[in-house]
Amino acid sequence: MRPLTPRRIVAICALLAGVLFIVVVFSLQVGAYPISVSDVAMTLVRGALGHWNGIPSSDRLIVFGLRLPRIALGILVGAALSVSGASFQALLRNPLADPYVLGVSSGAALGAILALVWLPQFPWAMQGLAFLGALATIAAVYFLGRRKGQLDSTTLLLAGIISASFLSAIIMFLMTTVSGRDLRGMAFWLMGDLGTAPAIGLGFLFFVLLIGIGAIYTTSSDLNLILTGEQEAHHLGVNVPRVKLVVYVSASLLTGLAVSVSGAIGYVGLLIPHVMRMLFGSDYRVLIPASAIGGAIAVALADTLARTVVAPTELPVGAVTAAIGAPVFIYLLRRRFA
Amino acid sequence: MIALLCVAWTCAAQNKIALAATKQQTQQEAKPDSKMNAKQMTREVIDETGRHVAVPVNVQRIVTLAPNLTEIVYALGAQDRLVAVSNYSDSPPEAKSKPHIGLPMNPNLEAIVAAHPDIVLITTEGNRRETADELARLGIAVYATNPYSVESMLESIEHIGGVIGATAQAESVVANLRQRLNALQSKLASVPVARVFFVVGESPLISLGEHTFIADALRYAGAQSVVRAKQDWPQISLEEVVRLNPDYLVFASSDFGGEDSTAKQLAELRSEAGWRELAAVRQGRVVVVSDEIDLPAPGLVDAIEKLARQLHPNVFEDGAQHASLRRLAVFVPVRAHLQSAVSQDSCREAFACAR
Repeated sequence: MRPLTPRRIVAICALLAGVLFIVVVFSLQVGAYPISVSDVAMTLVRGALGHWNGIPSSDRLIVFGLRLPRIALGILVGAALSVSGASFQALLRNPLADPYVLGVSSGAALGAILALVWLPQFPWAMQGLAFLGALATIAAVYFLGRRKGQLDSTTLLLAGIISASFLSAIIMFLMTTVSGRDLRGMAFWLMGDLGTAPAIGLGFLFFVLLIGIGAIYTTSSDLNLILTGEQEAHHLGVNVPRVKLVVYVSASLLTGLAVSVSGAIGYVGLLIPHVMRMLFGSDYRVLIPASAIGGAIAVALADTLARTVVAPTELPVGAVTAAIGAPVFIYLLRRRFA
Repeated sequence: MIALLCVAWTCAAQNKIALAATKQQTQQEAKPDSKMNAKQMTREVIDETGRHVAVPVNVQRIVTLAPNLTEIVYALGAQDRLVAVSNYSDSPPEAKSKPHIGLPMNPNLEAIVAAHPDIVLITTEGNRRETADELARLGIAVYATNPYSVESMLESIEHIGGVIGATAQAESVVANLRQRLNALQSKLASVPVARVFFVVGESPLISLGEHTFIADALRYAGAQSVVRAKQDWPQISLEEVVRLNPDYLVFASSDFGGEDSTAKQLAELRSEAGWRELAAVRQGRVVVVSDEIDLPAPGLVDAIEKLARQLHPNVFEDGAQHASLRRLAVFVPVRAHLQSAVSQDSCREAFACAR
């Protein structure tokens, strides 16, 4: 692998951003309502210039009211899930770690559902409790995953899987016992759904995710050292507890926010960092931005499939990521050990 | 440092998209209002969930997001203005040929926008609140119905009639349905209430709670659900059914064919361990009704009448011809202008009896 220079990081990011741009254009153009590429371009240009009245009203509703917010949400959720997956993989020194496998997504989902049951009038409660649920779950999994004071990889994964199934059981219990019509769409939401604009607003979501990803990025050099071992990192002058705290809280925040606005979308956090590692190497200074953009590409693309393959009916985006992600993951796994 | 810049740059690219989207949302809220005033007048109504909705005075394009709403719009004679319907809108059969906009739980918003609706009709009994919120955000008028009883279903028909400008039609439809329900009530006044177990789904076994419109429909048919649950669609164990010991088991079926389907259902139950131990199954007290009973729409009254007929055959014993004649005798003096509707209804009754 060539040495990592700032120039190389920029080049990689620019390349991925270019791919993301193509995906966004493609995604803007396809859907149940037919719009030609030129009409999309015209709509975007007119919108960007502020000439709203020049755009046919249904084109404007479709492009700016429906597709663009949905794509933007997919991008934000994908980036958040993928970066938190990459962070958990470093912290737990386990390539199989991801918010879904570790039960963090389930914890966030439980928090969001409790907010819907207890505090339905506050849209913020959902994000807040999802974050707390994610944080509590990762703390519990981390605690359960230790054996004789050491973090044991197998125990940790088992703890995550068991926590996830335990939390899912509580979610099932709530869904079957709590009466209320608002819970009815929940089964759908649990499979991942980007069709609903978040109550907290895309701008705010973007801002918080930027802080979370930025905080993790500041620790990327330390994460590289921690990957070789906590003792070694400590001897090399890394403040290990501080780095771990920052990354745990940030990654939980990212997962909690992503789950609270889109439900549980699996495989993105697991798969995208692996693909990025294979393509660009495992240095976290490039892996984190590459994972962010890669996750954005993956979820934007998966959601485009979700809303077009059986149009006018829509699939849950989580079903699409799982259907594509699981075989790809098996392929990567076998190729690696072949 | 440059790496950081790179992150900032990619995020800025994302930001532009996000900002454009949010900016557009605020503009959208302001714009269509002024435009809509120029295009058509609106009036504010409060829907059945308490939302304030600006409904165009002259509704020309209607979209329904649930099968029962489709049926209601047809019953109101407004099918020519119905531009798109939800999947599973099978009643009346003509509705199947209308453009579809996806499942009630997860409709395709693009397809709805593309239909240019003046109003979108939704129901709390199958649609999600998020769908209503999203459509409202896009400046589309959404009227939500909340059918929790037979009476509220009748009110929904009147409300929808008012919203789409078919008030007279709605009044006559509802008056007709009320007459039929009243006639049924007086007929069933003296019979003991049948204790029934209503099967919404077989595996898992799901029945209904006290606050559902089907529980209410059962009461109109001279029956009462043995399940007492606060939840709308509770899951019940077979053991609990044995303990409750219902007089009748009631199944809803789409391939409703009278005697045949009942016999088939009974034979099936008698072959299954558990079910065949139930007193109702042993004594052949199993009833299959048309799945119209699942929809809070005018067809619900047909289903109620058919169910009552099966649960209380003694009351209806005096034959098809007599029944239709007597029904006419009951109705005609009360509302002369309903005659055509009543005789149509009687034909259907006679057909059902003949079967």
